Amino acid sequence: MTRYGMVIDLNRCTGCRACMTACKVENNTPQANFWMNVFRFEENEYPNTRVWFMPRPCMHCNNAACVKVCPTGARFKREDGLTLTDWERCIGCRYCEVACPYGVNYFNWKAPEENQYLDWDDAELVTELGNDGLPYANPDLELSYGPEDRFTAGGGHYKGVVEKCTFCVHRLENDLIPACADNCPTDVINFGDLDDPSSKVSMLLGEKPSYRLLEDVGTDPNVYYIGGTPPNSETRQIEEIKVRV
Amino acid sequence: MTTQNETLPYEVGRLTRGWIAMVAVLLILMGVGGYAYYLQFTQGEIVTGLRNLGTMGGATWGLYIVFLVYFIGLSFTGISIAAMIRLLGLEKIKPIARMAETMTVIALILGAMTIMVDVGQPLRAMVNLFRYARPGSPFFGTFTLVIAGYLFASQIYLYLDGRRDAAILAKKPGRFQRFFRLWAAGYKGTPAEKKRHNQASFWMAIAIVPLLITAHSTLGFVFGLQAGRPGWFSALQAPEFVALAGVSGFGLLICIAAIIRKVLNAEEKLNQDVFEWLGNFLMFLIVAYLYFMVVEWLTATYSSGGAEASVSNALFTGEYAWMYWLTVATLLIPFGLLVYQFIFKRYRLAWIVASGFMVNIAAVVKRYLIVVPSQTHGTLLPYGIGSYSPTWVEYAVVLGIFAFGTLMFVLFIKIFPIMNIPENSEGGE
Repeated sequence: MTRYGMVIDLNRCTGCRACMTACKVENNTPQANFWMNVFRFEENEYPNTRVWFMPRPCMHCNNAACVKVCPTGARFKREDGLTLTDWERCIGCRYCEVACPYGVNYFNWKAPEENQYLDWDDAELVTELGNDGLPYANPDLELSYGPEDRFTAGGGHYKGVVEKCTFCVHRLENDLIPACADNCPTDVINFGDLDDPSSKVSMLLGEKPSYRLLEDVGTDPNVYYIGGTPPNSETRQIEEIKVRV
Repeated sequence: MTTQNETLPYEVGRLTRGWIAMVAVLLILMGVGGYAYYLQFTQGEIVTGLRNLGTMGGATWGLYIVFLVYFIGLSFTGISIAAMIRLLGLEKIKPIARMAETMTVIALILGAMTIMVDVGQPLRAMVNLFRYARPGSPFFGTFTLVIAGYLFASQIYLYLDGRRDAAILAKKPGRFQRFFRLWAAGYKGTPAEKKRHNQASFWMAIAIVPLLITAHSTLGFVFGLQAGRPGWFSALQAPEFVALAGVSGFGLLICIAAIIRKVLNAEEKLNQDVFEWLGNFLMFLIVAYLYFMVVEWLTATYSSGGAEASVSNALFTGEYAWMYWLTVATLLIPFGLLVYQFIFKRYRLAWIVASGFMVNIAAVVKRYLIVVPSQTHGTLLPYGIGSYSPTWVEYAVVLGIFAFGTLMFVLFIKIFPIMNIPENSEGGE
């Protein structure tokens, strides 16, 4: 069986946030939505300060809290370990969002055209675009994927539904790895099949000690971290990402 | 108003000037709420104060969920009073049975409406919640057990309870005669019929008491089962919801009964005895809830750290402290008043009504404290503190829903007697 997962090497991460940009470009995520989010942390006081960075995609948990609470089954587990949202079925109750301990879910508060990084009040720009919509829109997001044939990629970011990191399901189906992993300049994010002993992710986990975030909540995530320790109560966020739309 | 209708009891069919003014005010409030919801429906929930957890630093469940829990909590009274009359033979509280059942039915309808205004895709929700229903979701119980099952059961009770009175009123000519005849559905009041009626409601009362506990617990499980939300994840959540449902439900019933007593000049029927009983019962429910609060407070503060401490600090000393201590005060003051009256047997109607009103403030604020702080202060990853303040749209929508419920209640009062017709009344048995 395939079980997709990530192994994130914190030793290598420079906190450049290129993965966040890659995710935005690939998935056309709305303003203030960060399916991939890089925490910038600091710990202790001078002269013992330590600064470190932690990318946070969706954990694609095996025992996902969001899947358990979804009243309509819009959030579901795929055979290959992906935790996906069917934006055609989601009713926008946001139960997944309050159930998720990692805070990876984003609700679309506005209509897509008001929610994108584009000045829709600029008449000249809008005329230039014509009927093509966003100049950077990714057409693959609107298609259905997988054996279930469900609408699980980013979609058009329609109003009133919840979305989150998809592990770039539309790229996986075309034998590409997720955009964040592909775009990382220092090879921090390793993506692959955790059930295949010869995959790079399995090898890395065999070589080095690893942890997963909030293991005591019992979610059994598929994202592993190596080369660091989990954030603790002394960890402070610096250059914090907090944007309201 | 015709002379015929004047013979109907409890001002059924009589439209007074005050009543019309009240309906006008309610319609205006509903209009404002409707406009606010129109804005939300067309522009998206950006017009509310709700935002995403985590990097957006907000609360994604807010005032709507607070009032969903509040409305469903109110439904506690109808069934419990009906069951107590049948099972414990508490004949003296019979005059409040019908208003309690009416309140229950309306409160459940309002609860269902609150869910629909909260979800982002309400039209889709009406289909998908049934088409793709998943029993694994704690929400499933809210729709099936609470809204559907409970609403159905309360309506049956309201119907059965009203049949005798409908049969009496159907004998009088008037505008509503056909309606009463329909309700009575051939009921004549023969001894055999009465016996069957009593038996049916007795067995229904027995079946419904477990539903009472399960339904309110189910709503508690919506929060209590979430291991990822400090402040929610607790085995106490379910029993606490049952207790607070009782507190708010009986509190509001006292207020409604007092208003009806005043408006219909029903001092004799809704006498001091009824209010004494209601007050004493409310007192025991408050004791149960205060006990849960103390247990919860000790568990949260004694040894915890991390996100759990962040939530409890925000509650007891931080941002939400004024609300928390307001809840404590609005529970302790009624408790003091009711205990004093209970011990010295010196009952004062005004005190009982004030207690009923105050515990409802406590119930709304406490629900806010259950829903919101765990989202703004309870993130397990170090996202930082979030914030939430409802916008006018949320207030207007909630007020509109309230007005709709009140309107249904005052309309019902005008088409059906809100209290049972006395045994010896004309045309009766």
